[in-house]
Amino acid sequence: MTNEAAILAEGLTKHYGEIRALNNLGLAVQPGEVFGFLGPNGAGKTTAIRTLMDEIRPTAGRASILGLDTHDKSVEIRRHIGYLPGDLAMYPGLTGQDTLKYFANLRGGVDWSYVEVLAERLNADLSKKVGNLSSGNRQKIGLIQAFMNRPEVIIMDEPSSGLDPLVQREFQTILRELAAEGNSVFLSSHTLSEVQRVADRVGIIRGGDLITVETVSSLRSKAMRRVEFEFGSDADSSVFSDISGVSNVVIEGRRIVLSYDGTMDVLLKAAMDHNDTVVDITTHEADLEDIFLTYYEDSAEDKGGSAS
Amino acid sequence: MMQHSVFARSVQDRWRGMFIAAVTLGVFFLFGMAVYKDVDLSLYNDFPVAIQTMMGISEGADVGTLAYGAIYGVYGALVLAVMALMAGAGVIAGEERNGTLGLLLGNPKSRSHVLVSKTAALILLLVFAIVVMGVAGRIVPVLLDVAVGEMEIESLMFHLLINTIFYGMLATAIGAWTGNGGLASGVSAGVMIVGLLGSGLLPLVSGAEEYAKIFPWYYFDGGRPVLNGINWGHMAVLVSASVVLFGLSLVGVNRRDLRAQSIGLTIVDRLRTNPLTQKLFERVAGTAKVSHIWVKTASEYQVLLIAASYHMFLMGGIAIALIYTAIDDSLLTLAEQLPDTLMALAGGGDISTPEGYYTIENFGLMAPIIFLMVTVTIGSRALAGEESKRTMGLLLANPISRRRVVIEKMVAMVALTGLLGVLTFVGTLIGSGLAGLGMDVGNIAAISLMATLLGLTFGSLALALSAATGQVKKAVFGTVGPALIFYLLDAFLPLSDRLAGYAKWSVFYYYSGNDPLVNGLHIGHAALLAGLSAGLVVAAVMLFNRRDLRQG
Repeated sequence: MTNEAAILAEGLTKHYGEIRALNNLGLAVQPGEVFGFLGPNGAGKTTAIRTLMDEIRPTAGRASILGLDTHDKSVEIRRHIGYLPGDLAMYPGLTGQDTLKYFANLRGGVDWSYVEVLAERLNADLSKKVGNLSSGNRQKIGLIQAFMNRPEVIIMDEPSSGLDPLVQREFQTILRELAAEGNSVFLSSHTLSEVQRVADRVGIIRGGDLITVETVSSLRSKAMRRVEFEFGSDADSSVFSDISGVSNVVIEGRRIVLSYDGTMDVLLKAAMDHNDTVVDITTHEADLEDIFLTYYEDSAEDKGGSAS
Repeated sequence: MMQHSVFARSVQDRWRGMFIAAVTLGVFFLFGMAVYKDVDLSLYNDFPVAIQTMMGISEGADVGTLAYGAIYGVYGALVLAVMALMAGAGVIAGEERNGTLGLLLGNPKSRSHVLVSKTAALILLLVFAIVVMGVAGRIVPVLLDVAVGEMEIESLMFHLLINTIFYGMLATAIGAWTGNGGLASGVSAGVMIVGLLGSGLLPLVSGAEEYAKIFPWYYFDGGRPVLNGINWGHMAVLVSASVVLFGLSLVGVNRRDLRAQSIGLTIVDRLRTNPLTQKLFERVAGTAKVSHIWVKTASEYQVLLIAASYHMFLMGGIAIALIYTAIDDSLLTLAEQLPDTLMALAGGGDISTPEGYYTIENFGLMAPIIFLMVTVTIGSRALAGEESKRTMGLLLANPISRRRVVIEKMVAMVALTGLLGVLTFVGTLIGSGLAGLGMDVGNIAAISLMATLLGLTFGSLALALSAATGQVKKAVFGTVGPALIFYLLDAFLPLSDRLAGYAKWSVFYYYSGNDPLVNGLHIGHAALLAGLSAGLVVAAVMLFNRRDLRQG
């Protein structure tokens, strides 16, 4: 199975009557790769994942995991994968330990000492009933159950939800370790920063359509940022007008806020050359909405249309 | 004043259940009246007044009185009161258990507002159900050409409504004070049952008639509304009690801490953490419980099984024998003269023999109810329950097929029902032995097996519906509805010579048509039920395999 894609989707489509939850999804996740599936709520991330898991059946298209058809070979596939559903629910009356024992019994061949290692690393309390755990602590049990069989492919829907930053970091470390051993990870998220920290490549989905697949480094080089300048006197709208990569300019009195895709050097020079004092500069990562807008504009231009 | 959204949602959540209950009772009424019309009723008039009272029959019984009294006055009142007390228990306590009450109260509305809105919704639904039943109560006599000129039908319906509201308010009040829905519905149901028996039986004991008045049920039916019209005095008692209970609910819900959504610790949990018992209980309650899907599933229904066993083993098995020997012979002779119709409702049988008595008291009606309660609960929740609780995705993340999940769930059902069947057999055997009734061991085994198979047949139907729809409610209604109709067909059709042959179309015919407690096992009937059950399980596998899993 060496040269095979760990996860391959071809024209995967799921419609619920009029609702087009997923349209013609095509992507390949390679062995040893962490693939981030990024999109706002309701974009079709969960639909895609549930289709891969054979929980729901595609209206059209097909998918395979480790070269096995996700529908016909679904049981065989599940021997090799770890899965964490979104919006995790477990058996409230069972303790964490009972829950994991249950799934370990159903799977067979789980090394319990590894479970203990994972519990230690994620700081999970296995002795309490799941129903009495906070959502973050419940999520830890879910993560352990997805990791405990040392899966070759890991599929996780919004895995970080509810985790505190420390545990999130440890979780991401575990993911990187597993990927370094040649395993593949497919995880969905609605936060760009989370995906950037852990993934090699990112697929961006919205309204059921996969908009683009980018490596994280190229996404970074696109470096969409929101930059805010504060000048000594009322700002001049022409300051940044000639610089390419500037968009979405808003002028508020002495402040100019803009989206920028390019090296900071150029922008700073223009600000310095301008005949006014630069009082303050703040930059922050563009949010998901800005990135979507950029890609929408791009894809609209590709088609020769105008961005709306 | 009223929180329209809460009100509307509460109505939306429950109107279907109420509607189905009301329509089912209407159909039941149609069957009942059709049969009463077909049989000779003169016998009823010779019964002592006390016995007539207990059976919901009024003096000078005619078709109308019997149908209204027995079917609406007893069955209808019971079913509606149970619906009302379940809904009442859910008003505050139900939302607390689901952890949604906090969310609801996050809105700028007071606890009192929520309580008032939900109570108003409950009352509206009860009125709706009563109106549906009342309309059926007027249409059916016309359809069947039965004269009901003298009957005070609307008065009966009014009494039904007020009585039903009372039990709803009782459960609401307990739920509002404790936040414990199980306690609320349990205590209210207890009050209802004790009241029904007390107000029915005490008048049979001379000198104790007056004591019947301490039971709420007395104020519903004590005045015979269907004959005598509305008894405003009695209604005033129930209305005042309901108002007081509602007032108490308002006080109760406002004065205490809300419960968080939580899982209580059971005795077994405590034993698992106690150093002395830890080892043993860890093995039994921990490791073993999660060893297989079917063991885990079976372990989830311990309480249900204990409750069912309590009845089948102790009450239906042993106690009946002791009661039988204690009953005065004259009563048995009298009972022999009871009309077939009433006997049929209880499952038929010759009351003067131990076998007949067991059939009437237990195997005719109670045993099917109890076995179906167990199997339909398990079957309907088997797949749909895991889906609605969103655990099915996690379960199926393991390398197990959907077929295996269906089959293991069925295995759990077979194991628990089989255990209940064995306990039924042993209990009845002990009862028969203790009281020296001399019932045949093989025949006791036969009826226990048939009850088990009957339960499994309907349980498999629930499983198949659960597999097809992924919705617990649909599986329950889709099973209980047909079960009720099959039961009525089997009970009533044989009373008419013309229609007797059609009883074979009822599944129940294959359970008791051969009277296994008297005649032993009918292999063909047993095989038919087993085959039906197996076929439904195959259907369940196929239906579950081909559909998308639901997400909550």
